[in-house]
Amino acid sequence: MSDNPYQNDRGNKDRSITNKGGSTIQEVDRRFGNSKAKQGDPFLIGDAMTGGYGKGPDILHSCTIAAEKGEIAVIVGPNGAGKSTAMKAVFGMLNVNEGAVRLDGEDITHLTPQQRVVKGMGFVPQTSNIFTSMTVEENLEMGAFIRRDDFRDTMTQIYDLFPILKDKRNQAAGELSGGQRQQVAVGRALMTQPKVLMLDEPTAGVSPIVMDELFDRIIEVARTGIPILMVEQNARQALEIADKAYVLVQGRNAHTGTGKELLADPEVRRSFLGG
Amino acid sequence: MDILNALVALANFVIVPGLAYGAQLAIGALGVTLIYGILRFSNFAHGDTMAFGTAMTIIATNLLLAVGITFGPLPTALLALPFGIGLTILLVLFIDWLVYKFYRDQKAKPVILVIVSMGVMFVMNGVVRFIIGVNDIRFADGERFIITARDFKTMTGLNEGLAIKTTQAITVVVAVVVVAILFWFLNKTRTGKSMRAFSDNEDLALLSGINPDWVVKVTWMIVAALATTAGVLYGLDKSFKAFTYFQLLLPIFASAIVGGLGNPIGAIAGGFVIAFSEVTITYAWKKVLVYLMPESLEPDGLVQLLSTDYKFAVSFAILIIVLLFKPTGLFKGQSV
Amino acid sequence: MNPALKNTALFSFLGVLILGTGIVQGWNTALLIVNMGLISAIMALGVNLQWGFAGLFNIGVMGFVALGGLATVLVSMPPVGEAWAAGGLQVILGLIAGTATIAAAIFAQKRFAGRTRTLVTLGVLIAGFFIYRAVFDAGVDAVEAVNPAATGYLGGLNLPVLFAWPVGGLLAAGAAWIIGKTALGLRSDYLAIATLGIAEIIIAVLKNEDWLARGVKNVIGLPRPVPYEVDLQNDAGFVERAASLGLDPVTASTLYTKIGYGVLFMIVLLILLWLAQKALNSPWGRMMRAIRDNEVAAEAMGKDVTARHLQIFILGSAICGIAGAMMTTLDGQLTPGTYQPLRFTFLVWVMVIVGGSGNNFGAVLGGMLIWWLWVMVEPLGLGLMNILASGLPEGSSLRDTLIDGAAHMRLLTMGLILLLVLRFSPRGLIPER
Repeated sequence: MSDNPYQNDRGNKDRSITNKGGSTIQEVDRRFGNSKAKQGDPFLIGDAMTGGYGKGPDILHSCTIAAEKGEIAVIVGPNGAGKSTAMKAVFGMLNVNEGAVRLDGEDITHLTPQQRVVKGMGFVPQTSNIFTSMTVEENLEMGAFIRRDDFRDTMTQIYDLFPILKDKRNQAAGELSGGQRQQVAVGRALMTQPKVLMLDEPTAGVSPIVMDELFDRIIEVARTGIPILMVEQNARQALEIADKAYVLVQGRNAHTGTGKELLADPEVRRSFLGG
Repeated sequence: MDILNALVALANFVIVPGLAYGAQLAIGALGVTLIYGILRFSNFAHGDTMAFGTAMTIIATNLLLAVGITFGPLPTALLALPFGIGLTILLVLFIDWLVYKFYRDQKAKPVILVIVSMGVMFVMNGVVRFIIGVNDIRFADGERFIITARDFKTMTGLNEGLAIKTTQAITVVVAVVVVAILFWFLNKTRTGKSMRAFSDNEDLALLSGINPDWVVKVTWMIVAALATTAGVLYGLDKSFKAFTYFQLLLPIFASAIVGGLGNPIGAIAGGFVIAFSEVTITYAWKKVLVYLMPESLEPDGLVQLLSTDYKFAVSFAILIIVLLFKPTGLFKGQSV
Repeated sequence: MNPALKNTALFSFLGVLILGTGIVQGWNTALLIVNMGLISAIMALGVNLQWGFAGLFNIGVMGFVALGGLATVLVSMPPVGEAWAAGGLQVILGLIAGTATIAAAIFAQKRFAGRTRTLVTLGVLIAGFFIYRAVFDAGVDAVEAVNPAATGYLGGLNLPVLFAWPVGGLLAAGAAWIIGKTALGLRSDYLAIATLGIAEIIIAVLKNEDWLARGVKNVIGLPRPVPYEVDLQNDAGFVERAASLGLDPVTASTLYTKIGYGVLFMIVLLILLWLAQKALNSPWGRMMRAIRDNEVAAEAMGKDVTARHLQIFILGSAICGIAGAMMTTLDGQLTPGTYQPLRFTFLVWVMVIVGGSGNNFGAVLGGMLIWWLWVMVEPLGLGLMNILASGLPEGSSLRDTLIDGAAHMRLLTMGLILLLVLRFSPRGLIPER
């Protein structure tokens, strides 16, 4: 039995009376993190973050992740290294007990994910990252929900970036292929005109050809000046396009450098690029 | 001529009542399906929400009649409907604030919310009985018929008459208007789209900056309006009785599930499927068959498949058949 | 306060309530409450088995209770020979034809495939339906024509009424098997709505099939397992003993019969409670709870979740059936019109939740406590309303509304209690350990 009597599983197999897909975003302790902005900080930085989910043990240990304007920063590492966790920490989806997250010099450690979206962070989750029952265009509109101004220009830009979406804009997003869905997801996140875009394994489960295309698109987005922070499973390809790369092992920074440096680093090659 | 007579008899006893009943069920099922889609539980208090809204409308009707206001040939209750809707909205918003909000904040499992809605059902049932009693109340006034059977016969010269009650016509017209407004709202407005997004993927909706409290509030308001409208239409067509409204829960849920829970189009289709099944299966077909069959083959019984008391069994059987062969409902569920 | 002490205190509180009722309102009332309270406790035990142990959301309790009531009629009433002669066999034949149709349809579903299957199944169903109606309706008409004012039905087996209790359980179990096979086997999902529907159908059958149990004409004068008051009053020995206790024969006889019922009910309750406790603490009970708490893991460990659910669904429903048979025996009549879901399904749910889901003692306590309240809310509410209205002038409309409203206090109170318990003590009075 769980601690909360309202959350035990009794009777919840009766799915007809329940609708799955409720919110899974957890309440996060936001007491910590009052560090002052530092000069010369990167645009977005998760600085020496230590923390974990709920009351559980720490998963991240003094882990630092940063992204600069116009750059692509990638987080790679073996399975269970805490890659996605590190990104979620930057986005405020878990307890950061020590360290801080700063965006453009402002401390945002205490903000909720929703507040961070308003501050200019765009986040594309790994799964369920589109509204499947809504059309592509409606997905983009929902992405722009917090904007009260005219967002038609942004939508045109996104259609220019992802031409296939323009063709399919009146089709339900759930009917698209995996690669197209990811484009919708990225497009949705771009609709807020974010100052930084975070992608959680955007190429998970798509074919190699689609993956290359997605990477091309991501580079194009980065060229518009938006810093990109990305978690990637396909380390080699990711390192190839990365301006900055972080190799995490067991929640700690193991290696940091430009993509090329890490690709050339014999230890990184040996330990998880397969020689 | 015989075929025309048969058609008229069919229209009079099956099609017209089926359309009216189906429209009532559809509006009721829309409320259930919206709550299911947005708040993610099956609201057992829906029948009693309908009863409350209708009770309020009846009281407002009586007040209007007391000061001498009528709606000409139409039932005065239609004028009173906005008052009923307004009061019901206030009540459900109050209940949501007092009761449901706590469980949402606790992220309670949906089945807990279902049990909570059972508690709300009890309370609302008690309140309705307290306010208006347990008796059968007829509150339809104005013209009873648009066309009576006798007029129809003299007009057409047929043996069979076609009677269309004012309330039946009103039901269908109101239903069309209500559904049109609802779909326009869901598909064209910012709030409506955000409701669909919230129903589709709550996490992503939150990340997109959609305010869950506002979505929930709007949902309750729409549901209160739908429930009151459905309740008043049903009450005008038949009569108002607190217990009957509670029993409507079964056909309404059957409609929503048969159509695909969470899917508004499904709820409407489900409403008509259930209504027509009930009417056709419990209808004595002899009246139609006598015109179609040669005299020698004329049936001697009533040719009624099931007695009218088994109409629940019909809703239920349809429900089971659909679940066995198409578990997500006729239209795919969960996509407000 | 340790749990044992708390439980003792809670049950003592219940005892005080009942004693208080006895002193204030008379022992006759108190015993009536106790007897129905015991039956309610058994129903709550059945629902607790399904919900508390296995997490099955059954809101068709009313149907199973009504089947138990039907069993009482079928077992204890004398058969109506004339009706059997008139059309009994034909009714049975009709029923067999109906069953055979369904069996043939199921067989066709298995035997054929594709369009043939649909056509054959439909053909079988339609042909079977008309054969069934032709045979059955004629039989029913014949049976119902036999002295409709007094009988008009086939009657029962004329066995001692106590046999009806297990039979009621069996009847409910049979229905539960059919429901479980469709609703649980398909996807354990649609149980809630399915059970709600089935309960309504069972009541519809009881109301309309006059040949079975006279429908809304009710079957009255069911045999009793305890002596009749009149017989006791005519029994010199009994009158003498009553006098020695200082009671007049009429009071003594009513008390005696009620105590008799109470003892019988108590025995059944204790047996079922003992069995339920045994089951809860057995490996089987632990497995049930493991399945409830994590169905996926239990399935991965090789537990047949569907079969276990079916098992416990049947057991819980059977207990409700037994309780239903006992209730009809206590009433001495079967009145299908009085079965209402708010009273027989949702009230039982209030009992289970207030008592504590997952705890058998909680179910028993909740059953008796809520039943006491259900009975007492009306007089208490009336008293309260009178106090509230006492300041108002005689004959004012608000005063009348208030006093009339007391009659509707029950549902309101039950709803409030359910909501308050869920909000402030979601595990109930005696939580699961």
